[in-house]
Amino acid sequence: MPNDALQDSLAEKRWLNALAEGDPTALGGLYELYGERIFRYTFRMLGNRTDAEDATAETFLRVVRRSAELRADGAFRTWLFRIARNLCIDKLRQHKLMELPPDAQYSGAEERTTLRVTVHQALNDLPLEYREPLIYCDLEEMSAKEAADILKISVPALKSRLYRGRRALRDKLGSAMERTQ
Amino acid sequence: MSNELYNKLVDLYAGRELTSELDQELEAAAAADQTLRQDMVSLRKAVDLLKADASPDYTEESYQRILMKLYARGATIQPKAPDPVHLQYHLPMQG
Repeated sequence: MPNDALQDSLAEKRWLNALAEGDPTALGGLYELYGERIFRYTFRMLGNRTDAEDATAETFLRVVRRSAELRADGAFRTWLFRIARNLCIDKLRQHKLMELPPDAQYSGAEERTTLRVTVHQALNDLPLEYREPLIYCDLEEMSAKEAADILKISVPALKSRLYRGRRALRDKLGSAMERTQ
Repeated sequence: MSNELYNKLVDLYAGRELTSELDQELEAAAAADQTLRQDMVSLRKAVDLLKADASPDYTEESYQRILMKLYARGATIQPKAPDPVHLQYHLPMQG
């Protein structure tokens, strides 16, 4: 295990024990450890900063409320992402009802920015069953096993969705990709 | 080789999951097959573009706003940084 991963794993264990003992600083510790990853994930799922901040805060509040379900057996991250995922799906349903536009805040050279927005838009246009494996495996760099555990599906099913998702993304990117060649 | 098998190999090629030997073999096969070559190149390009997509910025403002939401909902939390500037000083209207 790389040094950073080992340290994170030890820190996670320490904060989970603290949470189990009712230590009021435990939530802050877990937020320091996972806040950025959960924010990035929720931003990618929801497409806007305000909703991502709400979903991130609510994810950590649910960790405290549901801490009795916790086991310090290495499955915390999967459990945390599942909570965040459920919140995102609820928010996406609300968006569908209200038709809120996503906000893509990017910086950089104009051509690069245009391409990023195109990739972001193409990803957002994919059905959720394809989008999620791409976020977990290609953007968050999780293993297929971890992504499959979060989605509660088998690894072959995850891979099948991942490969179909990549093909669907390529089809959506279409002409934008040709311009980069 | 069947189309289905080629598709599976192209999926693995695009995600750079093949060994270098298989990678080269597939590229050699694609040299004589324009459709296969187009499929391989475009799919790998799409995956590379996605992976190069920059992470959303996790700004200090976002960090603080999430903390505020946690406080507002009654969570006890120890921030990593001192209070933000706007909370460090009393405004005149607060006396």
